[in-house]
Amino acid sequence: MDFKDLLKELKGNLLHLMGAKFDDLKAESKKDVQDFLNASKDKLERWTTLLAQGNITLDDYKWLVESQKDLVVLQGLYAAGVSKIKLGHLKNSILDTVIQTAIGFVQPKLDNDNEANA
Amino acid sequence: MKTRFYAVYVSALAFFLVTSCASLRTAAFDQYSYQKGTEIKVDAQNLMGKATMSYDSQAAAIEALQIELAKMVEYEKNKPDNKISYAMWKMIANPDKKFIGGFLKRWKEKSTLSSFFITEAKGQVVEALDLILQYEAKKDPAAAKRLEGMLASQ
Repeated sequence: MDFKDLLKELKGNLLHLMGAKFDDLKAESKKDVQDFLNASKDKLERWTTLLAQGNITLDDYKWLVESQKDLVVLQGLYAAGVSKIKLGHLKNSILDTVIQTAIGFVQPKLDNDNEANA
Repeated sequence: MKTRFYAVYVSALAFFLVTSCASLRTAAFDQYSYQKGTEIKVDAQNLMGKATMSYDSQAAAIEALQIELAKMVEYEKNKPDNKISYAMWKMIANPDKKFIGGFLKRWKEKSTLSSFFITEAKGQVVEALDLILQYEAKKDPAAAKRLEGMLASQ
């Protein structure tokens, strides 16, 4: 089993799902991806040892490797969801700022109109 | 006249901002989803630990968990702005994916599973369910802070 190829495939799949190149990711997302890949490497090594020792069958091994690939998809969904939540918070902040600025802009006009009518 | 113009302008601008960012909407933190997800995680772990015994001997518990999973998928499906959580739960329950749904399918096919395989598969299922729970908690930053506080006090 070539771990490097498998890890490269997992990394490629994850980045494809996240829609970004590794170098373009922000530090926090980059750390999440790297932590996940490190964990994948540890698991693959452990499962290979279990297979070599006859503690799990080849079918068991394949199932576990496929489960790690499914986890890549789940991790991608999680990362996309978290980014969306953060963008949503940013959107709300922008919206609040625009409304406050607009109110501040309109308020003096309202006051002036009221004074003129009085 | 000018005041009316500015009021219309501000309303139009706010309306545009809200509607143009509709794709950024995410369902709010849901206590039921979080609690039910935690229960499913504990039940799945317990049941997986029994997979050294025959599938038939645990049929009632297996069916009960499958029903809970189906209910959860249906609940998440019908919440607005909840596509990501729904997609995650569908994967967890899907017998063709390698999470709890797939584990139960394999158990049925093999009748019993080895303790080594169970330990490793359990780790994968728990990691997947933790991702869903963490995502739910992220929907409300205050809830995430409360969770961190609870874990720190353990």
